[in-house]
Amino acid sequence: MIRRRSGRGRLLLLVFLALCIVIITLDFREQAGGPLERARNFSLAIVAPIQKGITTVTRPIGDFFSSVGDLSHLRTDNARLRTEIGNLQSQIDQARSVIGENAQLRREMNLSASYVTARRVFAQVDGRVPSNYKWAVFLDKGTQDGIRTDMAVVNADGLVGKIVQATPHTSTVLLLIDPQAGAGARVQGIGDTGVIQGQGGSESLKLSFISPNANVSVGDSVVTSGYDRGIFPPQIPIGSVNHVSVSGAQLEKVITVTPDVNFTSLDVVQVLVGSGPHHHGKHRHGKKSH
Amino acid sequence: MASARSRGGLFPQVGGGRTAAIAAILVGALALQSTVVAQVTLLGVIPQLVLIVVVSLAFTDGPRVGVVTGFAGGLLQDLLLPQAIVGLTALVYVLIAFAVGSFREYSTTESVWAPVIAVALSSFVAEASYALLAVILGQPWVSFVFTTKVIGLVVLYNTLLTPLLFPLIRRVADRFRPERVHRW
Repeated sequence: MIRRRSGRGRLLLLVFLALCIVIITLDFREQAGGPLERARNFSLAIVAPIQKGITTVTRPIGDFFSSVGDLSHLRTDNARLRTEIGNLQSQIDQARSVIGENAQLRREMNLSASYVTARRVFAQVDGRVPSNYKWAVFLDKGTQDGIRTDMAVVNADGLVGKIVQATPHTSTVLLLIDPQAGAGARVQGIGDTGVIQGQGGSESLKLSFISPNANVSVGDSVVTSGYDRGIFPPQIPIGSVNHVSVSGAQLEKVITVTPDVNFTSLDVVQVLVGSGPHHHGKHRHGKKSH
Repeated sequence: MASARSRGGLFPQVGGGRTAAIAAILVGALALQSTVVAQVTLLGVIPQLVLIVVVSLAFTDGPRVGVVTGFAGGLLQDLLLPQAIVGLTALVYVLIAFAVGSFREYSTTESVWAPVIAVALSSFVAEASYALLAVILGQPWVSFVFTTKVIGLVVLYNTLLTPLLFPLIRRVADRFRPERVHRW
C-alpha cells in the first residue's frame, strides 16, 4: 500500500520540528500585535463560521427533544407567563425611574457608574475552545459590535469572565474557572478585599489574600471589588463561600467559592462594553480593528 | 495557511484537491471538537478529534503526509486556545504522526484493529507528553487527579470514536487521491 521511502520523510520531520520550535520561541517572545496574534485571529475567523453553523443546526434539535415532553404544560405555562409579563412590565417602569435617579445621584456624589446600568452587548456562546486544559468559550460578536479585549463578561447569574481575543465578528472569553483567570473580589459585608482565582477542573474558585482575622463564614456571598486595573466593575456577583479554613503556615484564610454562574451550560452572555482598562484611557489591547 | 499552499509543490503526488480535502477534514474536526462533541461528552472532557485525523492519515499515507497534517492540525488547534503555548500541540502531533507513519511502512498487518490500537497508543502518548511539556513550559498545573482523568478519558473516547471515524477519513482522503490505483 505504501511504497515511498522514508529518507525524505526524516528530513521533513526535522524541518517541521524546527518550525514548531521556532513558533514556540516566537510565542514566548511575542508582544501585542505580533504575527502570531494575526494568525490567531485568522484561524478563529476560519473556524468560527463553521462552529456557528453546527451550533445553529444542533441547538434546535436539542430544544425540540426537550420540549416534546412538556407539551401538556404549555397551556397553563402560557397563562401564568402572561400575568407574569404584566407584573414585570410595571416593575420595569418602576426600575427605569430608579435607574435614572440612581445615575443622577451617582453623578452628584461623584461615584463611578454601577455595572447594573452599564452599556452591554448580548452575545451567543458558539462553542468552547477545543482543549481539556483551557476554560474559554467563543462568542458570535466581535469588534464590529464594540467588543475589545479585557472587557468584563457577565450573565444574569453573575461574573462569567473577560474577553481575551476579539476579531471583527467573533471573540473569545476566558472563563473565571480557568486557572489563568482572576479578579479582585470581596466578601459581601466585610471590608477585606482579596483575589478570586479559577482552579480548572474542580470548577470551585479560590479566594486568596483575605486576612485570617476576617469574619468569613460558609454561605457568604462574594462580589467583585473593582480593584484590578479596572477590568471588572465593582459589585458583580461571583459566588458563595463553600469552605473556610486557616492555613497555619501562611497566616491567611483558605476560602473556596461556589460560582453563581453555571459554566457548563452558558448560552447568552453580556459583554460590558463600557468596562476594561481602555475605558480609563490606558490602551493596552494592541489590536487595531480594521 | 502557508503550509497548505506549499504542499502541492512539496508533494506533487498529493495534489491540490487532496490538500483541500485534508484541510477541510482538519477544520471540520476542530469545529466539531469545540461544539457538539464538547456538549455531549461526559465529565467535561472532550475527545481530540484532530489527533484521530492525524493518526489516521499517517496510518494510510505514511509519515510525510502525516507530519504535514500533524503540523497543520496541531498549529490550528494551538491558535484557537487563549494563553496557551502556540506550537506545542503541533510539535507533539508531528512526532506522533512520524512514529505512526514509519511504523506503518515496516509493518504488514492488515488487521482492522491496527488503526484503533494506533489511535489508542498515540492518544496516550500525545496527551501525556502535552500535559508534561505544557507544565514544564510554565502553563498552570491543575492537579494530578485531573490530568490523569483527562488522559484516561481522552484515550477512551478517541479509541471508541476511531472505528467510526477512520473509515470515513480514509474514504474522503482516497476519493481525492490522484493517479493512484487503490482498493475500496
